[in-house]
Amino acid sequence: MASTSDIDALRNASLRYLWMHNRDWSQMAEEGDPPIIISGQGVRVTDSDGRSWIDVNGGYNSVNVGYGRTEITDAAFEQMQKLSYFPNGTTTEPTVRLAEKLAAIAPGSLSRVFPVSGGSEANETALKIARAYHKRNGEPGRYKVISRRGSYHGTTAGVLWLGGSAAQPRDDFEPAYPGMIYGPQPNPYRCELGGETPSECAVRCANEIERLIEFHGSETIAAVIAEPVGVPQGAAVPGDDYWPMLRDICDRHGVLLIADEVICGFGRTGKMFAMEHWGVVPDIMTVAKGIISSYLPLAATIVRREIADAFAGENNYLRHVLTFSGHPVSAAAALKNIEILENENMVQNSAEVGAYFKQQLEGLKVDHPLVGDVRGLGLLLAVELVSDRKTKAGFSREDRIPERLNVKFKKYGLIFRISSNILSIGPPLCITTGEVDEIVHAIDLSLWELEGEMGIATMT
Amino acid sequence: MVSAYDANEQSSLKAAALENLWMHNTDWTQTAEEGGPTIIVSGQGARVTDSEGRTWLDVHGGYASVNAGYGRSEIADAMLAQMQALTYFPQGTTTEPLIRLVEKLGTMLPGDLERVWPVTGGSEANETSIKIARAYHKKRGEPGRYKVISRKGSYHGATAGVMWLGGGKGLSDYEPAPAGMVYAPQPNPSRCELGGATPTECASRCAQAVEDLILFHGPKTVAALIAEPITSAGGAIVPGDEYWPMVRDICDRHGVLLIADEVVCGFGRTGKMFASEHWDLVPDLMTIGKGLTSSYLPMAASVATTRVADVFTGQDNIFRQALTFGGHPVTAAVALKNIEIIERDGLVENSAKVGEYFLSRLHELKERHDVVGDVRGKGLLLGIDLVADAETGGNEDKSTGFGKRLTAKLREQGLLLKCGDNAVSMGPPLCITRQDVDEIVDGLDRALGEL
Repeated sequence: MASTSDIDALRNASLRYLWMHNRDWSQMAEEGDPPIIISGQGVRVTDSDGRSWIDVNGGYNSVNVGYGRTEITDAAFEQMQKLSYFPNGTTTEPTVRLAEKLAAIAPGSLSRVFPVSGGSEANETALKIARAYHKRNGEPGRYKVISRRGSYHGTTAGVLWLGGSAAQPRDDFEPAYPGMIYGPQPNPYRCELGGETPSECAVRCANEIERLIEFHGSETIAAVIAEPVGVPQGAAVPGDDYWPMLRDICDRHGVLLIADEVICGFGRTGKMFAMEHWGVVPDIMTVAKGIISSYLPLAATIVRREIADAFAGENNYLRHVLTFSGHPVSAAAALKNIEILENENMVQNSAEVGAYFKQQLEGLKVDHPLVGDVRGLGLLLAVELVSDRKTKAGFSREDRIPERLNVKFKKYGLIFRISSNILSIGPPLCITTGEVDEIVHAIDLSLWELEGEMGIATMT
Repeated sequence: MVSAYDANEQSSLKAAALENLWMHNTDWTQTAEEGGPTIIVSGQGARVTDSEGRTWLDVHGGYASVNAGYGRSEIADAMLAQMQALTYFPQGTTTEPLIRLVEKLGTMLPGDLERVWPVTGGSEANETSIKIARAYHKKRGEPGRYKVISRKGSYHGATAGVMWLGGGKGLSDYEPAPAGMVYAPQPNPSRCELGGATPTECASRCAQAVEDLILFHGPKTVAALIAEPITSAGGAIVPGDEYWPMVRDICDRHGVLLIADEVVCGFGRTGKMFASEHWDLVPDLMTIGKGLTSSYLPMAASVATTRVADVFTGQDNIFRQALTFGGHPVTAAVALKNIEIIERDGLVENSAKVGEYFLSRLHELKERHDVVGDVRGKGLLLGIDLVADAETGGNEDKSTGFGKRLTAKLREQGLLLKCGDNAVSMGPPLCITRQDVDEIVDGLDRALGEL
């Protein structure tokens, strides 16, 4: 990257032509945005001004092996030199090998892989498979999908309406998709159903799913979709009773269970797949992000053999085509990415460094009354800020907590975007305890400053 | 050149594919009966080579998407350079190749189509366009505008919002349909559903039908009309020249946004950089994909005019959407190099010139084979309409499975082209030559003759 004037020209071009995620160009211009990133290594990236940053969110919790892994670049390049794409009706070696690998590492009989290019497409594919499965199974009335309030499963029209929260309104896109049913989020810190322990919350929330199924009539319900650990509400780890109960409820009512492992998969929570924490095998599992650490676009829908086999035979096949599904270059990169995760024990590192990270964050509670809760699994972690620990009251928009913290984190060299009172953390899994100390220290300093500005008495 | 795989490797690959892979629009038992999937290992120009060392001509150009052709090492080099620098970016930041790409697109797209929302595939791009259209009206105080008009027989993607556009069989698996899907007639001059006897008559009747639908439903309920300038599904349906100017005018008069789906048509496919240019059409939103990267990597975009995009400025007006892989720097670098090649190598002009020759040779087939009801297209987006009865144009009693048998016959001649029962769609790489065209048409001639 060259001179300041070049960088200004680039920034101006981005303000004129680029539509960025959840932003607009007039605000960005006022704030001197966007930062332009030019290189990355491990958990750090460097911008066009030569400044280095720690990416605390790891992209969108998606850069699992870290930035700058030349082996993945080499694998993608080698594949593209041979073959960049394939004719309609054929396939390629890396795509086949990736499907084989995913089947080998996915839990239970999850073994039939429909590759796609992103998490939204993967969840859309899962819903289509669920609805079409019941039609093949002689139960065409099963179309409704139960998701949990506070969850997020993507942005295209089918999955946009799953989960959701008041903080992320979607009234711009009404009317909603038919058949959307919402259950409670088993977030032990703020149990909607008043459960006072993780276990109580888990049991109540799971039972509520069964009540919803019975209320609507199980013969109308196609699937339940859920992340093993709820992400938008900040690494909401359900009590241990939740997943086995949910599996059992779905089985008893003939409802398919879809686990959205788009964020949780590939070591994020300290296991290869988060469902392994509870030994539960879903009927359909969706993966993205960590499958390729965002080096290229790739995602997949993985289906249990018993479910997939309903689609065998000429008139039963799944009518579903996406041009970039099964892309050989993305597949080659994903295979190398998974190899790195396995060979370098990054899943174990996620569990160990994640535990250390959580412990250090817990330490912040001692000094900072703002810290209401610290939670998570592996390197999917969250700190929830409150104005009153006893009542767990949050802050009003006028307090501008996210905006103020974003400025402070920036000052301390962290790219750590937060949009509510919850600090969601999802760094590359190669992070070291030294880097964790750096991040926690920066959060510590930022909270001191914030509490000072707000006139909040600290605890020491 | 990659050498052929040995027998063990081949059977292990095929077994793994049958065991674990879910391929498009087929299933593993059918694929097993066919001896397992064809596994492609290399490609050059319009040709690919499989694991058995056999070379094929890819007549469909990978879903009409490999515009620059296979084997462009410059694109691989561009990918390598960007991946060595940076593979991804933190939230709230962006990267140089993406900015360069959106600047390039803003410059080359018609009119004031300048604001680019990058995504990873055509379905996502069309979903984004529809979300923008609905949100646009809400932000302008017309929240009742949510219905979307599409044309019967069109295809706009596979995700829940866009798969219902165009309608058609095969969707019953996914019922119930969402609210607000309105279907207009397809301006297909060879089978005008409104009885238009000439392309002009068909075009004006079908355009008028769009206005009638808007008036019937009430303009205040209609958000957008989405259409491909030339319809790729059903085999390159080119509307009469009156259609697009009329539809543009109708949308303007009723406050309906016009979305041009150029996922297939864009980047030289029809002999112009964008097919909208054939009719000087400037849509309010344009979606692009496929030819944007020639499928070297997954990328697509929804592009809005300044007038539409600027409704979304200001903190409470933002367009709420995020996609992890939206705006990926590596795919952007690949798209930039791909566009450079299309421009530098004159591929748009080649598409027009070779496409014209291709169409003239297809006309020969029409004269020689009764089953060929019509041949049509523009540039290298071409189609053959198959009929059982050349007099009536009817295809009801044609034995099913015709497309499958035609596909098999073409394979015997080294041509990869998935054929339907009623139509054949072709979209080869834009670098094909007249000799390649002769090989394809002669192959079709023999295959149709044998059948």
